[in-house]
Amino acid sequence: MSTTTSAATHPARAGTADGLRPGRRGALPGKPGTRSAARSRELGACGVLMAPFFVLLLTVFVIPVFGAVQLSFFSDDQPGLGFGPERTVFVGLRSYQAVLSDPTFLAGLGVTALYLVIYIPLLVVAALALALILDSGAVRLRRTAQLGLFLPHAVPGIIAAVIWLYLYTPGLSPVVDILGKADITVDLLGLHTVLPAIVNIAMWSNLGYNMVIFYAALQAVPREVIEASVIDGAGPVRAALRVKVPLIRPSLVMVAMFTLIGALQLFTEPMLLSQSTPMVGSRFTPNMYIFDAAFTRNNYGLAAAASVVLLAATIALSYGVSRWSNRTGTPQEDDR
Amino acid sequence: MRRPRIPRPLLAAAAVLPVLCASACTGGSAEADAGRGPVHITFWSALRGSQEVVDAYNKTHDDIHVDFQQVPSGAQGGYAKLSNAARAGNAPDVATIEYPQLPEFAIDGVARDISPMVGKRLREKLLPQAFSLTTFENRVFSVPLDVEPMVLIYRKDLFKAAGVQPPRTWGEFEDAARTVKKERPHSRIVNLPTDGGPHLAALSWQAGARWFDTRGGAWHVSLTDAPTRKVMTYWQRLIDRDLVFANPGESQQGDAQLGNGEVLAKLTGAWDAGALMSSYPEQKGKWAVAPMPQWDPDKPRVGTLGGSTFAVTKDSRNPKAAMDFIEWQVTSPDALRARLSSGLSSQYPAAPGLLPTARKAMDTSFFGGQDIYRTFRREAELISGPWMWGPRMTATLKTVQDGSARASAGSGSLLEALREGQRATMPDLEALGLRTTESRN
Repeated sequence: MSTTTSAATHPARAGTADGLRPGRRGALPGKPGTRSAARSRELGACGVLMAPFFVLLLTVFVIPVFGAVQLSFFSDDQPGLGFGPERTVFVGLRSYQAVLSDPTFLAGLGVTALYLVIYIPLLVVAALALALILDSGAVRLRRTAQLGLFLPHAVPGIIAAVIWLYLYTPGLSPVVDILGKADITVDLLGLHTVLPAIVNIAMWSNLGYNMVIFYAALQAVPREVIEASVIDGAGPVRAALRVKVPLIRPSLVMVAMFTLIGALQLFTEPMLLSQSTPMVGSRFTPNMYIFDAAFTRNNYGLAAAASVVLLAATIALSYGVSRWSNRTGTPQEDDR
Repeated sequence: MRRPRIPRPLLAAAAVLPVLCASACTGGSAEADAGRGPVHITFWSALRGSQEVVDAYNKTHDDIHVDFQQVPSGAQGGYAKLSNAARAGNAPDVATIEYPQLPEFAIDGVARDISPMVGKRLREKLLPQAFSLTTFENRVFSVPLDVEPMVLIYRKDLFKAAGVQPPRTWGEFEDAARTVKKERPHSRIVNLPTDGGPHLAALSWQAGARWFDTRGGAWHVSLTDAPTRKVMTYWQRLIDRDLVFANPGESQQGDAQLGNGEVLAKLTGAWDAGALMSSYPEQKGKWAVAPMPQWDPDKPRVGTLGGSTFAVTKDSRNPKAAMDFIEWQVTSPDALRARLSSGLSSQYPAAPGLLPTARKAMDTSFFGGQDIYRTFRREAELISGPWMWGPRMTATLKTVQDGSARASAGSGSLLEALREGQRATMPDLEALGLRTTESRN
């Protein structure tokens, strides 16, 4: 077991590390002249191919980030009550202090945290389970099942939210109607049900997509490894959990990380639901808080500071997840 | 005005684009015609009957022509549209702003300081209580169109059937609520709307609350002062004992409750009489207007719910013409007649001189011929108290409403909703650089 695990993990990791320098491993040591010429050609090609990426990165990410940071440190102030003429002043950390002392922003972070805790394990486990079932060959109509599960991902988030809103709204929803006829009253948009309702929309949209990622990773697992485990006496469940899952660990981490980043940006679904249920306030998630601060409260400094806080939290969490996965990854290998 | 230094997000850009186009067209023609022909000014309003008013103005004025644009109501995007336009430098000459939102538009520099243009003649024609709500630091930022005392509008027939008289005090109101529930178990005397931040404000105002106060040269915030606590404790008791409904008012459910007589009365601004007339024409003759129940009948007081003002924006190129139009709108009998002719409005004019016109123009058969303007006038005289709205009132009221919706779902209370509203307001005001103080209770 130990050899298979490390053999599969290391190439994968080495692959990502070398991913930006394709062909490097192909250049053999001991031919210095051709190496430098090849290297400069390589760099030129890299530059041309990656230029569009960097142009976009600069214009839609780096510049706005710096703009937001600058905006968060300045404000057009009027002295006293605010009715006088205004002037732009450096306000230091004032906007940050305001954001971090705002209970509605902190509540939004809390909602997001709860959403993450419910959504990520649910999504990863469900997608993984489906992928393993498909991979095990237990399902006939594999392609149909795959397509059916993947299709919801093709529906834009806003449309998905509209569809589900229809299914949630009492008086419109056939589901609530039928349950009502069976004397079951459910308020799917109530105080405690609205977050699960949002998780449900996200699950519906993303389950198939992530399942495809896992399924593709499973396809890459060498068949002989699985055969070896079967010969060693592993049943299908044991082979899935003890052999396949550890081998696609990098995919698991990647899906968890992308889902985490996406979940921190939660906006579309709750924004739409807020039109129909007062249980979703105008500052329900950090992103909604930012939108509300900028466009309802006309408080750009506050919105910018909140954006920077959210960005910092996202970076910190992603870094934390990747560090954690690396750290927990290594000792496991040694143990086995 | 807080100007963004970053490229604006797509959404906002999309919101501004039509505005840019609209005012670019009208703006251009205004400049071209400046020499000869009428001066063009632009006017945005969400108020019912505005088109009729503008038509009447254009018919009788050759020197100024008003280009009117109906905009969505403030909460539906009208205010966002106005601030986006102002940020782009394309706000209309005249904008309609309700009282609670005026401080924020004044602070953001959208509403212009019009003190030098408000003459003694105009000032004397309008109620001083109304002007005090549009004056900050001795500067006038807008001209009041109407003031809307809160009144009790009730189903005369259903009150009679339940054996209930319009209550004169809040004690009697509670008794009446109990009787209504006993006589008609599926009905309640009123719905205290969970989406009604302004309702909670008006009820607190009546009891002498002062949520915002600028006397000390700073914004003093106190959403849970003693009078407010008294009012919220009262209503919480009524809700807890199931004597009133607590659900959204601006909703299918709220409409249905009025339509099928499950809600017998409405505590609302005078303007709402007209809205009821147009929403429930089949209930003609069944309604009546009564004065507000009082805490102390010897010292009657009333708060206001609703009411609009007209501001000249910072972008106006013809502030004089804009003021001329505003003055005509708020003081001319022709303007009031035109507005009421739409059949949708029962506003109480801020100019008491217009009352005879309003009385004559209003068809009160919906109220069985009752002289509702006489009740409105009596109540308007009782508007009192040093009330002032806050610098970010839309947001403050929204957080209060979020809290009261949660309260009606069994988490928290009305008072807690107001505490949340205050806690959510303070960081906002601090980030704006305003001087603030607060008291928490």
